[in-house]
Amino acid sequence: MTIALYTGSFDKLTATGVIINGAVADDLDVEIFVLLMGAHAFKKENIGKTDHMAELADKKEEFLASLKQLKLPTWMEFFKTAKEMGNVHIHICGLAGKVWNGLAVEDFNELVDDICGIGEYIASTQTADVNLFI
Amino acid sequence: MNVDELKNLKIDKFVDARGTACPGPLMATKKAIGEMKQGEVIEVLSSDPGTKRDVPMWAVKKGFEYLGDILEDGYFRLYIKK
Repeated sequence: MTIALYTGSFDKLTATGVIINGAVADDLDVEIFVLLMGAHAFKKENIGKTDHMAELADKKEEFLASLKQLKLPTWMEFFKTAKEMGNVHIHICGLAGKVWNGLAVEDFNELVDDICGIGEYIASTQTADVNLFI
Repeated sequence: MNVDELKNLKIDKFVDARGTACPGPLMATKKAIGEMKQGEVIEVLSSDPGTKRDVPMWAVKKGFEYLGDILEDGYFRLYIKK
């Protein structure tokens, strides 16, 4: 499975976390390519932030309270579990990194494996059975 | 298997995933089965309604034997043979 992860919003990142856990349970390899807005959420200084919600933004407080009540892991915890249990790699698009002043892997959270170009993503999609744009 | 047969199974591994939402019970089951030997039986407790469809489907796809489930008050007991 390949994922073009464009979103930098925690609601969509949470949904992505659920999907990649399901994929790992099914023994799928997952290659995630973090594009423009996504790279913002992966910056080290943005760990744990829930500032940005893509859908139903007016219901953010209700949504956050519900996630807490359900004891749902954060999106980063979901990604971490998926990486621990399966073959999951997270690549930051070089351009996206530059946009948010992230030039090295060290500028991002510990989930990030490397920084790459769009060519690697395109090549990767051609051997994947499933490709998602989120 | 019927409920009596399920209740009399020898359980080799037990996972209580009650209180976790999807995909918690599935991930807990996968992790536990990975530590089991062929032929061993796992009992999983889950209070997540999606799990009752997810886990059997997953188990069969992975080549395990789904033995059945028991509905309790507010949760399920699911049984899988590796």
